[in-house]
Amino acid sequence: EGPPSCSNGCERCSEYNGCIKCKPKLFILLERNDIRQIGVCLASCPQGYFGMRTPDTNRCIQCKIENCEECFNRNFCTKCKEGLYSHRGRCYPSCPEGLSTTNGTMECVE
Amino acid sequence: APRAVIKVTLLRHEPTGKPITLEGLFVGGSAGYAEGKLMQSHPLSLCNTSEDERQESDFISIVKLESPERKVPQCLPLLKKARLALERGAQAVIFDVTDDKDAALELHESDSLPLPVVLVKAKDAEELMGLVNKNEEARVRIDIKKEDPKWPHYD
Repeated sequence: EGPPSCSNGCERCSEYNGCIKCKPKLFILLERNDIRQIGVCLASCPQGYFGMRTPDTNRCIQCKIENCEECFNRNFCTKCKEGLYSHRGRCYPSCPEGLSTTNGTMECVE
Repeated sequence: APRAVIKVTLLRHEPTGKPITLEGLFVGGSAGYAEGKLMQSHPLSLCNTSEDERQESDFISIVKLESPERKVPQCLPLLKKARLALERGAQAVIFDVTDDKDAALELHESDSLPLPVVLVKAKDAEELMGLVNKNEEARVRIDIKKEDPKWPHYD
């Protein structure tokens, strides 16, 4: 039974795991769909994830910060969800005490 | 190593309630009972870099290991992958080793796994992975297989 035809951008795939190795420069995202968890290849990672490059593989890793849309790494948010304020890579419903926003941004500063 | 009996009960489709009985092999001194919802883990999800996508608590991870020739980035030895899955809340881990004959050797070297880790292959693995492929919600119960007594009873 020949190798299954791989999805876009996938270099090596299998019936059960989906993609197991993406083409160079692409990121592999492990997509959970109920019981299944398969690999898919993306040029850039979706909202709520950041791209991590290693010699072996380029991975989409989930941002660990609550209410974060885009992150620089697991623990530093660069864009909070709409309506939330950001301070030092975290997201808040309102600016922490002693801080306030300036000229209409959602960034809390001293 | 003791053999495992794996009873799989489908939760949504026929034949619900009537368990499918499969077999496997316990490794790492982990023979014991476990129960949980069947949940696939991609081999790359069990790496230090991957996120801890903690689902509900009672799930049993099943991992389809690719053949070594396919050169999937290993990221961690199998034993550590098993430990990582258990640390993330899996009640047990099932490895489909149909395409990775060396996996059994690698996992036999330990005897300190805290919860059941079972190797399945061929027909038994195909049945389990077939359920995963169809996204069939299933409950899995793992137990130690009672072996028939070796010596017939003499009166």
